[in-house]
Amino acid sequence: MTIKSESMSLEIDGGEIVNDINIEVFPGKVLALIGPNGAGKSTILKILSGDIKPTSGVVKYNDINISNIPFFDRAHIRGVMSQSQTIAFDFSVLEIIEMGWLHSDHDYYTSFYPDVLKQIIEDCELQHLADRKFNTLSGGEQKRVHFARVLLQLWIPEGDIHPRFMLLDEPLANLDIYYELKMLEIIKKHLSKNIGVLLILHDLNTASKFADNIVLMKNGTIVKNGSTVEVLTESILSETYETKIKVNDTSPKITYL
Amino acid sequence: MDEILRSQQGTTRFGTKKQISILFFISIFCLIAFLLAIANGSYQISFTELFAGSGQNIQQIVITEIRLPRVLLSCLVGASLGMSGAVLQGLFRNPLADPGLIGVSAGAALGASIAIVITPAFIAESSLGVFVLPISGVLGASFVIALLFALTKGFGYQGITYLLLVGIAVNAIVGVAIGVLTYISTDSELRTLTFWTMGSFGGINWSLLIPASIVITLSIVLLIPISRQLDLVQLGEIEAYRLGVDVKKLKVRIILCCASCVGASVALSGMIGFVGLIVPHLARLIGGVSHRYLLPASALLGACIMVSADLLARVIIQPAELPIGLITSAIGSPFFLWLIFKMKKNDY
Repeated sequence: MTIKSESMSLEIDGGEIVNDINIEVFPGKVLALIGPNGAGKSTILKILSGDIKPTSGVVKYNDINISNIPFFDRAHIRGVMSQSQTIAFDFSVLEIIEMGWLHSDHDYYTSFYPDVLKQIIEDCELQHLADRKFNTLSGGEQKRVHFARVLLQLWIPEGDIHPRFMLLDEPLANLDIYYELKMLEIIKKHLSKNIGVLLILHDLNTASKFADNIVLMKNGTIVKNGSTVEVLTESILSETYETKIKVNDTSPKITYL
Repeated sequence: MDEILRSQQGTTRFGTKKQISILFFISIFCLIAFLLAIANGSYQISFTELFAGSGQNIQQIVITEIRLPRVLLSCLVGASLGMSGAVLQGLFRNPLADPGLIGVSAGAALGASIAIVITPAFIAESSLGVFVLPISGVLGASFVIALLFALTKGFGYQGITYLLLVGIAVNAIVGVAIGVLTYISTDSELRTLTFWTMGSFGGINWSLLIPASIVITLSIVLLIPISRQLDLVQLGEIEAYRLGVDVKKLKVRIILCCASCVGASVALSGMIGFVGLIVPHLARLIGGVSHRYLLPASALLGACIMVSADLLARVIIQPAELPIGLITSAIGSPFFLWLIFKMKKNDY
């Protein structure tokens, strides 16, 4: 019951974008994807989401090859958040969040809908924005709305034992400190609901505090894949980022020299 | 907050309670326009006579053989243009998409006029003859959509500018082609150039109306259920895929349905500009952007506006008629300019 890539590679016009990637996202765990710009982190997220087909290797959701899973079923397994596009028409914030609801044809689940929706809006502290036009929000606010939409998409009905996964591309970008902590707190809360999380992070300290496992990437390949302690060492980080990096025993754990 | 969520609980297949009541009011207006359009014209028929059916023989013929098919046709054409405008704008995520502007209507007009010139007399006079016009219109519209599809690599990332430019080219080519056809053709069947460029609901009869109305109704019925998917497409194609929409399938469905209803409409009534552009925009202004409301609203509002515009065209310079496209373009083209300026301001 995981999201997994097996020796996955992607070539575009003969150039290798990512090469031989083996990673696995477990329910209840946070996997952070870190690395310098252009390392191929977003590409991996796109392949794992099913946006792009890898040139070789496979992506499996719960041990089933993703190409055998219809789009609609994929949506029930994983939710994705990445850089948002502009929206041409004036949808309200509430309408955008609602787009995450996958059960509109399901009468029984529909009876839960108002409560589920209300809970998520309160969790994300979007009450005062619900009526606003989405296009008038700031970048950070738009991000929080999309996050709420993903949470609604991944709502697990009572008794459903199948895990869900969140794939988040820099979820903390544009957020102020308050909402950064808030979002991490919400993600943490969802781990216990049988949800696994993959996130792309830039801040190494956040990664060290928050992730269970870390995949460090550079130039389209995995430099190191392991627990936080295994990956975040001075020698590995300094070499990968080509910067002198110090790992401390006290907080802040990681400092740049 | 609670108020917003409560209004949410009343949400139905066609939108919130407020949107449902808007749909209801548009339907009422539509009905009123329909009755007015049947009662008025060069030949006046009073409402009492209309309902009692007590009119003289000639009144009955005017109603059943001339007015009723004409008003029904304007209803159907308005609905299909409004609907396809809304759907195309949703698919391209741009309020400037319109079957007329991107050349689809022109393709249908060319298809229909070629068919009129080249169809052998024995087919035209047989019982299959009535299908020739709508089918050739649909084929012409499909050809242009296929061309647009190929040129924009599956309506990919080139955006609306490209579509509009192709539309300009197609419109120009079709203008020339129809002009030449009407000029060289001695066939009395081929209507005037004005008919194709400005449109008209005159000269319709039941045998032509019925096949076209089947095509149009069917396409509209097939477009109504895609509203949720169209909503999701607004987040971007990739996001729609991620939320479970098979966007490729959706595109095929939209293309086929829009080509069918625009093709059949144009084959019978010529090109009537700007209705597909204005109607969805008006519907959004009145009741919101969510497609479960917008699609039925655009169809109803399109029918309502088209019936009214045709009524205006018939009564304004009685007993003569204005071309219907003159009226819709007179209202629509300044609106088009306004939309462009508005978009520029929003820095799209």
